[in-house]
Amino acid sequence: MALKAIVDFDLCEGHMRCQSAAPEVFEVRDDDKSYVLLDPIPGDLRDKVERAVRLCPRQAISIEDVT
Amino acid sequence: MIEARRPSPLNMGDPEPFVRGEQHEYFRRLRQEAPVSWNEGMAFENGLSFPGFWNITKYADVLAISRDPATFISSHGITMGTNPENAGPAAGLGKMMIVTDPPRHVRLRRLVNKGFTPRAVAAMEGHIREITAGIIDDVASRNSCDFVVDVAAQLPLAVICEMMGVPKEDWTLMFELTNKVLGGGDEEYQAEGANVDQTITDGHMQMFGYFMRMLAERKAERRDDLLSVLVDSDIDGDKLTDEEILYFSYLLILAGNETTRNAISGGLLALFEHPEQRQRLQADPSLMPLAVEEILRWTSPVTHMARAATRDVELRGQQIAKGDQVIMWYPSANRDEEIFPDGDRFRVDRSPNEHLAFGIGEHFCLGAGFARLEIRVMFEELLRRLPDIQQAGPVERLKSTFIGGYKHLPVRFTPERVPALA
Repeated sequence: MALKAIVDFDLCEGHMRCQSAAPEVFEVRDDDKSYVLLDPIPGDLRDKVERAVRLCPRQAISIEDVT
Repeated sequence: MIEARRPSPLNMGDPEPFVRGEQHEYFRRLRQEAPVSWNEGMAFENGLSFPGFWNITKYADVLAISRDPATFISSHGITMGTNPENAGPAAGLGKMMIVTDPPRHVRLRRLVNKGFTPRAVAAMEGHIREITAGIIDDVASRNSCDFVVDVAAQLPLAVICEMMGVPKEDWTLMFELTNKVLGGGDEEYQAEGANVDQTITDGHMQMFGYFMRMLAERKAERRDDLLSVLVDSDIDGDKLTDEEILYFSYLLILAGNETTRNAISGGLLALFEHPEQRQRLQADPSLMPLAVEEILRWTSPVTHMARAATRDVELRGQQIAKGDQVIMWYPSANRDEEIFPDGDRFRVDRSPNEHLAFGIGEHFCLGAGFARLEIRVMFEELLRRLPDIQQAGPVERLKSTFIGGYKHLPVRFTPERVPALA
């Protein structure tokens, strides 16, 4: 199932764990914030996105299913 | 009905097992027998005392607590025994970022976090390598030294002092005051006749006095340092009070100074104790980033962080009551068999290594990038220039349940014939 990812810019500090875990989905830019590249995100990237959520040191990413 | 709390089979408030290096055996037993258990409070002769608290020993529980800063708050104290009703000024409750809760917490953090991003850290690598080279220069023509004092402590001290704007002639003072505040429970750092509380308070007051003078100077004239950034900072239009600026400086100096020193010292000790791992690393320096993570997991320089429950909550069948203090034991989480099946082995090639040495979530270590860089650069330079460095005497550990500290580590090595050229 497709999903959406939202990065809380108050918390995000550009640690890039998300980018490493799911480079198709997250890109940290020059402002040290992670931008979500896909909306919605195809379901076959779910595992990678869940890994990104788990690994974010600031726990700045939330995800929701897209029906 | 009040349910009986599962009593902890071991008293984790006693620093003696940590001094002896036996804490990992204690944690293993707790994970097996009583992963969440109630530790009775106690009072020591040296003036240290604490009320009861919950021992949190499992990785999953440390993770869950860290991710829920609304239920488990920091503003009642982040060290064992801090009681909001009688906490002294050194605790900085409600005034210092680390003991502030959301939503104000992230507003404080955002005042300085641009200086700690991966890009900001990467930009400092060249300079950190220069500082490291100078530190090794200072010992390289000898054949022995105290690794903790002469080498490991000097790098994080230099880095954070430079960032804060503390001049070089005052770095030794910062080192000594840090030892008083964070190592005040250890007799070595207490002045004659002074107990723990007096030592901590003395260190705190001297540090505040120092930064008050520096603050006045920066208000008159800004420089390119974090203290000047803080002077000009505001949250929603409100400037930080002088007291908030002082507490911020105090936190950054303490945190930036103490923990990385212990990761470096503990890391070298781990290499001494695991010669086959040391050989692997020296033969293949490309392993260094993985080795750094393993050093962090193995040493877990912050031994615990406390939180206070804002409501009744159940954890593994135990009823944590509103107001109870929970103690997250990072060395235990970092050797949890469910996450690290061979966690009691030191492996420089361990991957993945999702340790919690820096915490996670709201209060994730601001300095993690600097710590990682300092550890990596130090070991790269050290192993390259003094490759036969050996332990030359017994290690002395800090008497503390909060900081996994090393006070002294005698080492010997073949001196460099010529000083390294810059």
